[in-house]
Amino acid sequence: MSASPNLSHPQRTASPPRLHRLRRELFASPLDGLITIALVASLAAAATGFLHWATTQARWAVIQANSNLFAIGRYPIEQQWRLWLLVTLLAAATGLSWGLLRAWPRADRRGSAWPPNDTIAVALLAAISLYLPLALQAQAGIQMRWWAITALLLLVRAAAGRWGPLVPRQLRPLLALLWPVLYLIGMVLISGGLGLMPVPPAEWGGLLLTLVEASFAILLCFPLGVLLALGRRSALPLLRWGSVVYIEFIRGAPLITLLFLGQNILGFLLPGGLAPDRVWRAAWVLTFFAAAYVAEAVRSGLAALPPGQLEAARSLGLNLPQSLMHVVLPQALRVALPATVGQFITLLQDTTLLSLIGLLDLLGVARTVMANPAFLGRNAEVYLVLAILFWCCCAALGLGSRALEHRLNPNTVALNTSAHKA
Amino acid sequence: MTTPLMIEARGVEKWYPNGFQALRGADLSVHQGEVVVIMGPSGSGKSTFIRTFNGLEDFQKGSIVVDGITLSDDVRQIDAIRREVGMVFQQFNLFPHLTVLENVALAPVLVRRRPKAEVQQQALELLDRVGIQHQAHKYPGQLSGGQQQRVAIARSLCMEPRIMLFDEPTSALDPEMVQEVLAVMQELARDGMTMVVVSHEVRFARQVASRVALMADGQVVEVAPPEQFFTAPGHERSRQFLSQIG
Repeated sequence: MSASPNLSHPQRTASPPRLHRLRRELFASPLDGLITIALVASLAAAATGFLHWATTQARWAVIQANSNLFAIGRYPIEQQWRLWLLVTLLAAATGLSWGLLRAWPRADRRGSAWPPNDTIAVALLAAISLYLPLALQAQAGIQMRWWAITALLLLVRAAAGRWGPLVPRQLRPLLALLWPVLYLIGMVLISGGLGLMPVPPAEWGGLLLTLVEASFAILLCFPLGVLLALGRRSALPLLRWGSVVYIEFIRGAPLITLLFLGQNILGFLLPGGLAPDRVWRAAWVLTFFAAAYVAEAVRSGLAALPPGQLEAARSLGLNLPQSLMHVVLPQALRVALPATVGQFITLLQDTTLLSLIGLLDLLGVARTVMANPAFLGRNAEVYLVLAILFWCCCAALGLGSRALEHRLNPNTVALNTSAHKA
Repeated sequence: MTTPLMIEARGVEKWYPNGFQALRGADLSVHQGEVVVIMGPSGSGKSTFIRTFNGLEDFQKGSIVVDGITLSDDVRQIDAIRREVGMVFQQFNLFPHLTVLENVALAPVLVRRRPKAEVQQQALELLDRVGIQHQAHKYPGQLSGGQQQRVAIARSLCMEPRIMLFDEPTSALDPEMVQEVLAVMQELARDGMTMVVVSHEVRFARQVASRVALMADGQVVEVAPPEQFFTAPGHERSRQFLSQIG
C-alpha cells in the first residue's frame, strides 16, 4: 500500500519555453499557420469593429436612463429601501459564505478550496462595482451605496476567512440554513406583509422579476424532480406510470404553450392562494416544466448507481426511505448535479418567454424601453446589455455548481491515489 | 443436532420474470454456530439461493424460516430478518461517499437508533478486529479490494447479526488478498457465528465448514461434512464438480 500523498511530484520533463510551445501548437505546419493567422485576423477585425461601434456609434443613454427600470421595473419608489436592504443582506451573506467555505477546508479532502485562488475574482468584483455605477451615470448617492455594499461584501469575506476557523465544527452545518432563511426574508421584503406595505407582483419587473421567477422555480423544481425520478423507478405501477406520463407530457410540449395554458387553467388546478395572479401562475408553470427535465437528469444519476448499493443498504436493515436518503440519493444527485444545473441555467433563460405572456421581466422591460420613441433604434445596445446580464447570472450558477461538485466529490483524493499507484 | 435451527429452507422454487427457473426445490437447514459452505458450478443457483435468505430475491414456492421468522411478502418481516442477518457481497458494495468509519456506523445508528458516539467506538473496535484500524477516516476507493471486503464484514458485524451470509466474498479479489479475508471469516467462525458461505475456496471449506452443500440445477443435491464431501462424495454431480475444480 503506497498511500502516501503525491504532493511533491517532481516535474517529469522541463517544460519548453512558452514561446516555443506557442509556436509548436499554433504553427506546427504551414496549413496550421495559415488557419491561425486567418482566425486571429478575423477575431481582430470583429473586435475592432465592435469597439468602434461601442465607443462611437452606440448611444448608451438608453441604458443609463432606464437602469432603474431594467433592475426593478415599476417597483414603487417609496418602497425601494426594502430592495436596498435585501441587496445589502445578500452581499453580506455572499461574503460570509465565500469566506467561510474557504476557511473550512474538509479535512479529509485534498485540494479542497475551490477555486484554488480567487484573488482574481475579488479584483474583478471590485473593478466592476467601481466602474459600473459610474458608467451608468447613477446619482452620487446611489453610486456610494453600491460601493459601500461591495465593500461590505469584501469586508465580511475577509472577516469570515480570518475568524472562520474558530467556529466549532458542530456549528458549521448551520451555514446551509443561511440561504433558505435569507430567501424567505427576501420574499417578504419584496412582496410585503408582516407589517410591510404589500407590493403586488404586477409592480415587480426587470431583473428583480426574472430572478424571483427563476429562483422560485429552481428551488421548487428540484425536490419535485427528485420525487418524479424516484416515482419513475417505483415498484408501484400507478406511481410509476403517473410519473412517466407527467414527464413525457411536459417534455413533449413547448414551454410557451404551457405558459399560456397555465394562465388559463392553473387558477382551477391549484388552491386559490397559491396562484392568485399571472406572475405566480407563470412561476408555477416554470416549476412544473423544469421539474420534468430535472427528473430526467436525476434518473440518469440513479441509473449510474450500481444496484449493489441499494442491496447493501437494505441488507443492513435500512428501510427504503433511509436507503434513499443516506445511500442512493447522495450518490445519484452528485452524478446528476452538472445536468441539473444545466437545467437551472436553461430555466433562467426560459424566463424571457414571460415577456410573451405580458409580464415585465428583463426582456419585457427591454421591449417597452425599445418601444419608447425617445430610444428608437437602440435595440443593439439593449440586447447586448441583456445578454451580458444573463451571461453573468448563468456563469454564477455554473461556478457555484462546479464548486459544489468539487466539494461533494469523495474521489478527489481516491483518484489521485490510484493514479499514483498505477 | 442439538443447537436450534437458524435457517430452514424447504422446497424453494424461483422463476425469474423471463421465465427461467433458477431454483427447483432447494432445501437447506443451518443450525446455530454452523458454517455451511455452498459450492457448485456457475449457474447452479447458489447466489440466488443465499439471496433468498434475507429477501434480496423473492421466491414463488416453498418456505424459508430465518431465526424463527417466516419469510413472506410482509415488508416488516423482511426488515426484521435483515436486522438479524448480515450479508457480505462479491463486489463489497461499500458506500463510496462515506468514510470507512461512517460505512460501519451508519446502520446501527439509523436502524437500531443507538447513540452515535457509542456506535463509532464499537465500529473502531470492529475495524481493529479485521485489521483496518488505521484507515477509518479514508474512503473505500482508497483501500485495496481485500481491505474493502474486511470493512464490509465489519459493517455487517456492527449490526450484531445472529447469522452472516457471504455471497462469493473472495471471487472479486486479487489472489494475494484472498487469504486476509478468509482469515477474518475463519476467526468469525471460531467465535461461533452462524455462517452460510457461497464460495469456491476448497481449503477454506475443508478447514472451517461444518458441512458442505453442493448445488446443481437449482437444487441442493448433497450436504455432507467436508471430510466426507471431498473424499467420498455421495452424489454423481458432486463427483463431477470435484473433478472439474481439480
